Amino acid sequence: MDTSAAAGEQCVRQVLVTNQLGLHARPASQIAREAQAFAAQIVIAGQGQSVDAKSILDILTLSAAMGSTLEIRASGTDAAQAVDRLMELFAAKFGEK
Amino acid sequence: MARVIVRGISVSTGFAIGKAVFVNRRHRSELPRQTIQPALVPEEEARLREAFATVEAELASARDRIPAELKEHKHILDSHLMILKDPKLAGAAARLIRELGVNAEWALEKAVAELEKAFGVLDDLYIRERLQDVRVMSDRVMARLLGTVRELLAVEGRVIIMAHDLTPADTVALEVSKIMGFATAQGGKTSHTGIMARTLGIPALVGVSDLEDAVNDGDLVIMDGVGGRILVDPDEDELAEYNELEEQFEQYQRRIYRGCQLPAETIDGYRVQVQANIELIEEVAAVLDNGGEGIGLYRTEYSYLNRIDLPSEDELADKYSDLAAIMSPRKVIFRTLDLGADKTIASFGALEEANPAMGLRAIRFCMQHPELFKTQLKAIARASAYGNVSIMFPMISGLREVRRAKAKLREAQEELRTEGKRFNQEMPIGIMIELPAAVMIANLLAEEVDFFSIGTNDLIQYSVGIDRTNPHVSYLYQPLHPAILRSIKHVVDAAHQAGIEASLCGEVASDPFCVPILMGMQIDCISLSPQAIPGIKRIIRQARMSECKALLREVLACRTVGKINRLVRDTIFNKYPEELTFFASLLDNDDLGG
Repeated sequence: MDTSAAAGEQCVRQVLVTNQLGLHARPASQIAREAQAFAAQIVIAGQGQSVDAKSILDILTLSAAMGSTLEIRASGTDAAQAVDRLMELFAAKFGEK
Repeated sequence: MARVIVRGISVSTGFAIGKAVFVNRRHRSELPRQTIQPALVPEEEARLREAFATVEAELASARDRIPAELKEHKHILDSHLMILKDPKLAGAAARLIRELGVNAEWALEKAVAELEKAFGVLDDLYIRERLQDVRVMSDRVMARLLGTVRELLAVEGRVIIMAHDLTPADTVALEVSKIMGFATAQGGKTSHTGIMARTLGIPALVGVSDLEDAVNDGDLVIMDGVGGRILVDPDEDELAEYNELEEQFEQYQRRIYRGCQLPAETIDGYRVQVQANIELIEEVAAVLDNGGEGIGLYRTEYSYLNRIDLPSEDELADKYSDLAAIMSPRKVIFRTLDLGADKTIASFGALEEANPAMGLRAIRFCMQHPELFKTQLKAIARASAYGNVSIMFPMISGLREVRRAKAKLREAQEELRTEGKRFNQEMPIGIMIELPAAVMIANLLAEEVDFFSIGTNDLIQYSVGIDRTNPHVSYLYQPLHPAILRSIKHVVDAAHQAGIEASLCGEVASDPFCVPILMGMQIDCISLSPQAIPGIKRIIRQARMSECKALLREVLACRTVGKINRLVRDTIFNKYPEELTFFASLLDNDDLGG
C-alpha cells in the first residue's frame, strides 16, 4: 500500500511486523543503522506513539510485537529511498528465518 | 587495625599490597545546575558534542586495538558506540541545553532520566536492562564533562585498580604490567574482570559494595583474594602479616606450578584426566600453562551475550575451529548453549518466569528455537574437522530429550554434507547429568551417549532444592551431602557398566577435600578452572587409590553431612596440611548444615 504524497519530499507507508520476535533489539539496531545513513527525518508510528527511526533506544520503547501495524513517515530529500530501504528490512523479516 | 575492612566476592586468588587508584566512580547525584546565558548556549552545546566525540574516539580506538583473541568484546563496544551515537541521548541532551538554557552536565543527566522513565514502563526485562549500557556510556561522557577523567598513563608505579565497574573498554586501555589487582563495586562471579585477572594471575574482588565510600585514591590497601577482603590503611602488624602471607603464597604457587605438566597419577598408578573449564578462547594459554590435559567444558554462551545481533554460523565455526586446532590433539568438549535463566540474549528477550532456574533454559530453550540451535550445532560439527571435538547437551532430564537433540545434530550434519562442508562423523556425544531425574535413569541414558559429565553445581541445587545465591538457604549447599555422594557414585557406576566415560565438572572438582572421594569412585576425568589445576594435580599425585577407596567407604557409611565433613577434613588435612593454607573449601559452612 503506497500512500506517498506527491507534494514535496514526504513519504508515508504502512507496514506489518511479520517477524516472530517483533521489533526487538536486533531489528531495532538494523533499522537505526540503516536510517542513520539517510538525511531524511524518519519516524515510525504505531500504538499511539511515534519514535525516531535513527534511535535504537527510541525504537525499543515502541515494543512492537509480531502482527502490529506501523507507519513509516519520512521527510527530506531522500525520503522515498529511506522508506524503501526500511520496507525492505521489514519484508526480509530482519534476516530471521 | 586497618581503618576500614570491606568485603567482596573473590574472582581471582592471591594477595596484593599497594596504592589504590580509581579509574571510575559512581557519580554523586548532586550535579551542579547552572543557567547558561543565551549567548553562550552554542558554546555549551559544543562542549557536550566534544565530550561525546572524545568518548566515541576513545571507544573506537579501543575497539581497533582489541587483539584478535578478544574479538568477542568487539560486540560490546559496538553496542556502546551505537548508544553514543543515538539521537535520544546526545541529541536530547543538546536539545535540553537549548530549551532550558542549562549546563551540559545537567542536560545529560536529564536526558538519561527521561530514557529511564520511558524504559522503566516496558514489560520486557531485556530491553529494560539496556539502560545499564546507557548509564555506562553517559557516565563516561559525564566524567569528560566534569573533568574527572583519570589518565592512566600518569599513574606512577604499580597500583591496585579500583572502579565502580570495569568494562572491556576500560581494561583495554590499562597498562597491564602496572596492575597488581582489581576491585570493583559492581559485578558478579562471571564478570569480565575475573577472567582478565585470572589471565594476568593477579587477585580480584567484585561486588565490593562499600568500595567507593571506603577507599580514596592513593590509599594504601591490602587486597586479600583468598579471604575476599580489602584492608584500607592497614597497620604495621597487618602489613607484616600480609607480607609474610604473600611470600608464602608465591612460594606455594611456584611449588605447585613446577609439577603441573606431570600426569595426574596416584602413587599406586591410577590415572585421572584433568581438564579445564573455560568461557573464552583467550583462556587457552592458561589451560596449557597450568597443565590442563584438554577442555572438559567450553561454555559457549559468551559469544551470544552483551551484543545486539546473533553470531552467524561462519563466525562461530571460525572461533570453534581455532579452539579445536590450538588444543589438538587434546580434547575439547563443547557444551551447547545454556541460555535462559539468568543469561538472556538480546534477540530473544527475557521471559517473565517466576522460577527461571527451573524454566525455559539450556536444551529446552534450544529446542524452542531450532534455528538458533542448528546454527550452533553446524558450527560445532564444522570445528570437529579440525581437532578432537566432542559435543555435550546440558540439562537433560529424559531419554526423549537426548534423542531429539541427537536428531537435531544429525540434521545439522546432513545439511553440512549437502553444502559440501567437512565434519567428523564420529564426533562423541555426551550429556550433562545435573538433574536428579537424569541421575535416576543414568543406566538408560548411558545407552544413548558416549560420555557423561556430572555438573555438580546444579545437581546439588536441584537435589536439595535450594538456590545457593539465596543467603537464607545457602547453608544447605553441601557437596558431600550423603544424597549427593550417592548420586555421583550411582552415575559413575552406571557409566562404567555401560562402558562409557564419567567426567565431573563443577566446583567440587577443584576442592581438595572432595577430589579424593571422587577418585575413590574411579571418576575418569575432572574438569575445573585452569588456575586450580596445578594444586589439584599435586593432591592427586600424592594420593593412593587404596586410601581414596577406603575414605569413600567410610564416608558412605556416615549418616549426616556434618559427620562426613568432619571426617573428610580431618583425613585430608592430616595428609596435606601445607596444600590447604590458601584454600577456601566448599565445606566451610558445614557447621550449620544437617
